Amino acid sequence: MADNGPDQAAENYLQLLNQHERALSAYVYALVNDRHDAEDIIQSCKLTMWKQFARFEAGSHFVAWARRIALHQILNYRRSARRKPLYSTDPAFIEAVAAEIDREGETLSARSEALQECLRQLPENQRRLVLLRYYEDHDISLIAQETERTEAAVYKLLSRVRSALNDCVTARLSASAT
Amino acid sequence: MNHREYIDRSFDGQLSPGEWDALQAAVIADPDLRREYVERRWVHALLESGSEALPSLFAGASPAPAARAARATSRPLLRLSAAAAVVFFCATLFLVLDRRTDTTVATLIEAQDCRWAGSDLPTVEGAGLAPGTLALMEGMATIRFKSGATVTLEAPGVLVVESAMKCRLIEGSVVADVPESAHGFTIDTPKMEVIDLGTRFGVTTTPLGNSNVFVFEGEVKVKENASPVAKHLFAGHSLVGATDPQPDQDQEVRRSEPLPSPGDDWTPISTAVGRGGDTYIRRGDAHGPTGGHPLLMVKHTDLADNNVRRALLTFDRSTLGSARIRDARLALKMESSGLGFSSLVPDSRFAIYGITAGSPVFRDEVSLLWKNAGPLGDASLSESMFRRLATFEIRKGSPNGLIETRSDALTEFLQSHPDEIVSLLIVRETGESDKQGLVHAFASKEHPTSPAPTLWIQTAPLE
Repeated sequence: MADNGPDQAAENYLQLLNQHERALSAYVYALVNDRHDAEDIIQSCKLTMWKQFARFEAGSHFVAWARRIALHQILNYRRSARRKPLYSTDPAFIEAVAAEIDREGETLSARSEALQECLRQLPENQRRLVLLRYYEDHDISLIAQETERTEAAVYKLLSRVRSALNDCVTARLSASAT
Repeated sequence: MNHREYIDRSFDGQLSPGEWDALQAAVIADPDLRREYVERRWVHALLESGSEALPSLFAGASPAPAARAARATSRPLLRLSAAAAVVFFCATLFLVLDRRTDTTVATLIEAQDCRWAGSDLPTVEGAGLAPGTLALMEGMATIRFKSGATVTLEAPGVLVVESAMKCRLIEGSVVADVPESAHGFTIDTPKMEVIDLGTRFGVTTTPLGNSNVFVFEGEVKVKENASPVAKHLFAGHSLVGATDPQPDQDQEVRRSEPLPSPGDDWTPISTAVGRGGDTYIRRGDAHGPTGGHPLLMVKHTDLADNNVRRALLTFDRSTLGSARIRDARLALKMESSGLGFSSLVPDSRFAIYGITAGSPVFRDEVSLLWKNAGPLGDASLSESMFRRLATFEIRKGSPNGLIETRSDALTEFLQSHPDEIVSLLIVRETGESDKQGLVHAFASKEHPTSPAPTLWIQTAPLE
């Protein structure tokens, strides 16, 4: 057996994965509507990347390589048929959005950084809504029950929070650009 | 409503399927809309992918003072509700944590040589598992569900633990052992659902979602998505799903990894060189001659006579001329055979036999069969024809690495071998506990990406 070859490869892989895991997950979540599907895809992606890691050339762009593999997995994903998707997604749509993400790669990673800061500035009531929607993974109707609001009101609030975050991120980026 | 308004609504499932289709078409057609979609979607995607970190992110920073002050001065009622929100938030956080400790549905009872690919569940032996995903890069992990069912996941594989009675196999192989208490235990795969009726069985799923089921004992019920009628499978039977149209659709250019050279004075001789060759033979010859196959399959079993397989490697060392041989090693690249379960085979020992000069030569790999391979298939290999030169071990569940074997006996055999053609026979000496045990495989000279079996020979310069 080779002395430390496989161990070294695994260590390199895990280190790169650690560094870029967030970028990979965001990419998959941006292209896949169903959260459970996205989680499945991310896990199989990590495994496929490991299996193909021998073909990854050290020094080349890990995120770009990971995205290529992820896109392939997304387009070929077979969902367990017992879970009905809410929306069916057109492969041409996925490819168009993926190409746009590739084109804006730099800007998007800057936006990721800025979002952290913008989240910290959210007022308490908006934080609560973000936690219910994203951390607890509750849908609009459940949040409406819990907060004793109508669904329309919850959606409006949530939409407002996302818009505020989006504006905050854009403002931070243009401020740092000037 | 215009398409811009659709964008945000799509994140919460607030569009009708028709509206969603209209949005997709518009995004494909309009570059400006596409940019806006990606910009807004990215925020949503970051919130989803980073959701686990949100509580600690919020805990580490106090809310914007301006917003707080505004509330405190002009809207006292809201201030109250903000305080209530904090209490509520703490309560939910507590509930979440509590729910996580309380909803353990299984225990990871054994993790043998495991390397994990960022699973969202704990991966130390003895850890309690709540519903979640386990992704195994290397090794073998055994999970005992609270129902009593035991499932062994073989690397590489992804398994989703759903409840004490259910798991989902996204990719890879599992062997399940289900006691009476857990009858009805279900393994879900993308194309079928396998429901236990008191048994021991195995399931494999390929990256494209096709599954095979093997029943070792008892009975299982299989519901294929494509068919409304459930099938019953009994011990010794299997159900093989549709085969993959293409095993690997990856668009990337495949390239072979060259073997690492041990040093300048070493010369590689692969089975692809000159008059060399490689093939394997299978007792019973169920599928005809096996020459030209990308994999060299090797297996030993006392349980199913016709599954025994041995590999024959032939090297042409004429390129070495008369240089004196100082050392030698054999390099084989392990590959997945896609056949059998590694849980059913212990750590395995293999032996490399040299075929002595003057023995019959088996050169025509295209037509070589077990039945015309004569002594190559003998249960005990005769000492006059076969020299046991070296052994190597492959541990249970180990990754598909490169296996290099050297021994003084191998070097001496090559030094004293008078012919330019050298033949080696690879035999597995370890048997299995069930006839669905793993078939080991090595890349042959026909393999599209992996190196062929290679004999590395170190020569001394002529003086």
